[in-house]
Amino acid sequence: MQPVLSINGIAKAYGPIKALKGVSFDVPEGAVFGILGPNGSGKTTMLSIILDILKADTGSFVWFGEPGSEHTRKRIGSLLETPNFYHYLSAVDNLNITHAISGRGDAADIDRVLEVVKLSERKKSKFSAYSLGMKQRLAIAAALLGDPQVLVFDEPTNGLDPVGIAEIRELIKELAKRGKTIIMASHLLDEVEKVCTHVAILKRGELIVAGAVDDVFSNEDIVEVSSNDPVQLLSVLNAFPGYSKIQPHEKKILLFFPIGTARLEEINRFCFEKGITLNLLLVRKERLETKFFELTNEK
Amino acid sequence: MRSLINIEWLKIKRYPAFWWMLGIVALTYPGINAITYYGYLKATTGKDMTTNIAKLLLGNPFAFPETWHSVAYFSSFFILLPSILVIMLVTNEYTFKTHRQNIIDGWSRAQFITSKLFDVLIVSVIATLVYLAVALFFGFYADSSTAFQWKQQLQYIPLFLLQTFAQLSIAFLLGYLIKKAFIALGIFLFYYLIIENIAVQYARFKLNDIGRFLPFEISDRLVPTPAFFSRWGKDAKASYDHAISIIPEHIVYTILLTTGIWLICYAVHKRRDL
Repeated sequence: MQPVLSINGIAKAYGPIKALKGVSFDVPEGAVFGILGPNGSGKTTMLSIILDILKADTGSFVWFGEPGSEHTRKRIGSLLETPNFYHYLSAVDNLNITHAISGRGDAADIDRVLEVVKLSERKKSKFSAYSLGMKQRLAIAAALLGDPQVLVFDEPTNGLDPVGIAEIRELIKELAKRGKTIIMASHLLDEVEKVCTHVAILKRGELIVAGAVDDVFSNEDIVEVSSNDPVQLLSVLNAFPGYSKIQPHEKKILLFFPIGTARLEEINRFCFEKGITLNLLLVRKERLETKFFELTNEK
Repeated sequence: MRSLINIEWLKIKRYPAFWWMLGIVALTYPGINAITYYGYLKATTGKDMTTNIAKLLLGNPFAFPETWHSVAYFSSFFILLPSILVIMLVTNEYTFKTHRQNIIDGWSRAQFITSKLFDVLIVSVIATLVYLAVALFFGFYADSSTAFQWKQQLQYIPLFLLQTFAQLSIAFLLGYLIKKAFIALGIFLFYYLIIENIAVQYARFKLNDIGRFLPFEISDRLVPTPAFFSRWGKDAKASYDHAISIIPEHIVYTILLTTGIWLICYAVHKRRDL
């Protein structure tokens, strides 16, 4: 299947600072694609380039199999960095401009998207009178206008309260269920962990890794084991077959196995047969945060 | 094209500064002309020989057909009012970051500049319509017996439009390049009101009038001082005739400068990061 977006060797420098160093990856159709990275890693620069706000020094990108242009942008609902609207206009008037430029949606659809982001009651208020969270909701409404097949969200939950964050997360999940392709930059790992199917990790302008979330983050099973005598437990487990690494951690022992090969009942039986009773035995799902720090070497 | 104009109208029609500026233009254009008209009446109601000869030779500057010329000349003093609006219209896009959003939503970079060109054109046409109404009013009010001459000197209508568009384009360029409203306005006013006036006057006497090639002066020469208000003295007629004779070449210079300004905007916008 042809990727929705294909990025090939994009580089961008601001004077001596290299914001992106030849980044390439594909976004498959129907993916919720998270672009991760610490502040200053080049996430927003990347999104700005694929939306023609910034010009790449080298490299190219292809949307829907054709070079990026105003025609391809009209098919994409986007929220980049901050909500950008005319302060003296109401939500409806601002969305009328979005509709007029992009050709996405109509008057009824404007009402629909305002309902989705819960701004219907304030739809005639001026943008300048909105709170930060309401501005962000309006930006999401503008992206949803016309129900585009592809959405680009840069830090979509910025400025939202916990309820708003949960609502947007649900909205993204629901959009994904309907087959939309969503490209989302975020530094909130929890957010990405909960909704993304694919990720690309950037660090100081370089692509560290890209692919399906399961492939990138869960390349091994980690089993946590403990007993009343950790020293004895360690010496016993050293003889257990099949693990790739063993590591004492606080009062526990961590056993690393290739993904899908950890068998808890075998570990339990092995220890029991050696006279050790376990008081902890579980497969730890490696948290995205841990892996992210590992990949980016950030502490 | 029509869609771009419609979108710009959506942006402008609820922009309070637009209506304020329109209101101020609608007051100042008739205002300056009324002041000058009553000044003229006062100066020509005397019984001395000079004023009567002047009146006889040059006629009423606000009667047809001179009204087209005189009102264009005096109204053009207030180009800075619509200029403020033009600078606000472009710098607002930076302030609200909508210059980015318009592109994200599906405009090409060239379409963005074209939409701004339409803004400047819309403001120029509105200023010209106000000028037209004021000139017509004074034409009938000052001397209805000359109304039959209304078809003469109609060239000042397109000349006023061209002058307004050219000077507003300079204001646009400043706003576009500088991005900050107050800095752009400051530079615009300082240059327009002080620097260029001093430079033009200096060049007039010392540098063979080379100042006529300065940005605003190029189009200022499209509407020279009306006959009646030209300097009195032996050189007056020659000076007036010369000013009229160079209008055609200044039309060419103005078009070249204005085209250059917009080409710069298109070229810069095509390349620069937004």
